Amino acid sequence: MNMLVEQVRADLLAFSRRPETLFFTVFLPVIFLVLFEAIFGGQSVTLAGGDVIAQSYLQVPAFMVMGVISASFVALSITVVNRRETGIFKRVRGTPAPAWLLIAGQVVTSLVIALLMVIVMLALGSFAYGVRVDVGHLPWLVAGVLIGAIAFSCLGMMLAALTPSTEAAPPLANVVVLPLYFISGVFVPIESLPTWLGNIASWLPVAPFVKVATWAYVPATTTPWRALGLLIAWGMLGLIIASWRFRWTPRRS
Amino acid sequence: MPAAISVTGLVKRYGDHAVVDGLDLEVQQGEVFAFLGKNGAGKTTTTEILEGYRTRDGGDVSVLGEDPATAGASWRAKLGIVLQESRPLGALTVNETLRLFAAYFPNPHTVDEVIQLVGLEEQANQRAGRLSGGQVRRLDVGIALIGRPELVFLDEPTTGFDPEARRQFWDVISGLRDLGTTVFLTTHYMDEAQVLADRVAVLRDGKIAALGTPAELQALRGDVEIRFALPHGVELAALPALSTQPRLTGGEVRVETTAPTADLAVLCSWAEARGLELPALTVERPTLEDVFLAISGETT
Repeated sequence: MNMLVEQVRADLLAFSRRPETLFFTVFLPVIFLVLFEAIFGGQSVTLAGGDVIAQSYLQVPAFMVMGVISASFVALSITVVNRRETGIFKRVRGTPAPAWLLIAGQVVTSLVIALLMVIVMLALGSFAYGVRVDVGHLPWLVAGVLIGAIAFSCLGMMLAALTPSTEAAPPLANVVVLPLYFISGVFVPIESLPTWLGNIASWLPVAPFVKVATWAYVPATTTPWRALGLLIAWGMLGLIIASWRFRWTPRRS
Repeated sequence: MPAAISVTGLVKRYGDHAVVDGLDLEVQQGEVFAFLGKNGAGKTTTTEILEGYRTRDGGDVSVLGEDPATAGASWRAKLGIVLQESRPLGALTVNETLRLFAAYFPNPHTVDEVIQLVGLEEQANQRAGRLSGGQVRRLDVGIALIGRPELVFLDEPTTGFDPEARRQFWDVISGLRDLGTTVFLTTHYMDEAQVLADRVAVLRDGKIAALGTPAELQALRGDVEIRFALPHGVELAALPALSTQPRLTGGEVRVETTAPTADLAVLCSWAEARGLELPALTVERPTLEDVFLAISGETT
């Protein structure tokens, strides 16, 4: 247990001292929310059920999801590839530290950052844009974000396992994630997409996550069991591929 | 006292090519053992098999009484490993890095003890990413020492060091010997082996080509080299008959001989009779470097 505490402490310290990851993970989703609120904040949308709500109710959870994915998927895969290619993982595998510790260190670290993103977005939404989560839905939000963050950590491990080099890690992660943000209701409301594109997106992992988070803010719709199930399925797929292709030593050796 | 490392008939193949081809080796406890060979001779492959990183295709290996292929965490707790290529996390300080690695081991040194051992007192609160190459390598050794290892592997630890940094590093290794730690050192610097090692093994084509103390290895080549510049106006053919044929390279005459006294006497009386001086006359035993180059199959 002490080992895990020390590992997470060191991983968090290292994370907080890398300005580029800190910017892309923590600040970028916040900047996006602020910009989107400045541009679209006054507008309202008509939901499928006919209710009309302020667009902020969709934007705050959407960028919260972006923050969580940045921490658990983008930052995690980049860090894991970097540790593998610089020989840090190999080095630790030569000590009595168990293999799970390194994975747990990374996942717990990304969960802590994800949680931080949730808190920042909750506060920003509530105090700056008047968008509040019903207290009864808060546990749902926390559980949904936790499941999403774990699922995306598994997918991040998968991406790391498939990424050949340190240089390839940031572009690969962004190439995967940016188009998904567009078609999954983060940058653009999912209602304004062509039906076929919306249908494809609804099976990919980002849209279900957005749906789960939005549900906590807009509780009128039915419980998103299907979306939760999809998230878990994607997480398990990521885990299977990650454990099949994962390696501790640099690719070049 | 059982050997720290014992290897018989070790074989490792990559495809059809045997990188390690029937290697036998024994390293005693408390010994500083240098493992030499040119690039591609199988040094790192052998070392990584001993460390438990790579599997082998044949032979018996025992490191601290266990087979590295199957040994677990309690065995790893007795090892310290410095890899040929690895960088510590640049964002963490020396202190923080050592503190993290200490948490991996059941009975670690304190961070301060290790910092003192590797001489990084002034850099303790500096981030690893801002250390010089030599300081990073010393931090690497510090990481390897934090768990109070009985056996330390160092794979080419001083490659790319300036002379000052290498000398400081050697002091650290000498300190390990005083602690009674067994050291398995891979290097391609002869002087390093000569200064540090109790025994030296030279690897060639995946086998041990020579093994002994630095002095024993040096004695392997019994010949001595007489060198002098060819006196002005004298042809090589005009020199007197010696026990071996002299060679001329760049105006310098070299005589590799097993009878230096007799050859020198002939040369000197020949020169004296003609009133000639033999410029830059030297008589040298081959250095360990020369011996290594000869054994490892490198040409001078």
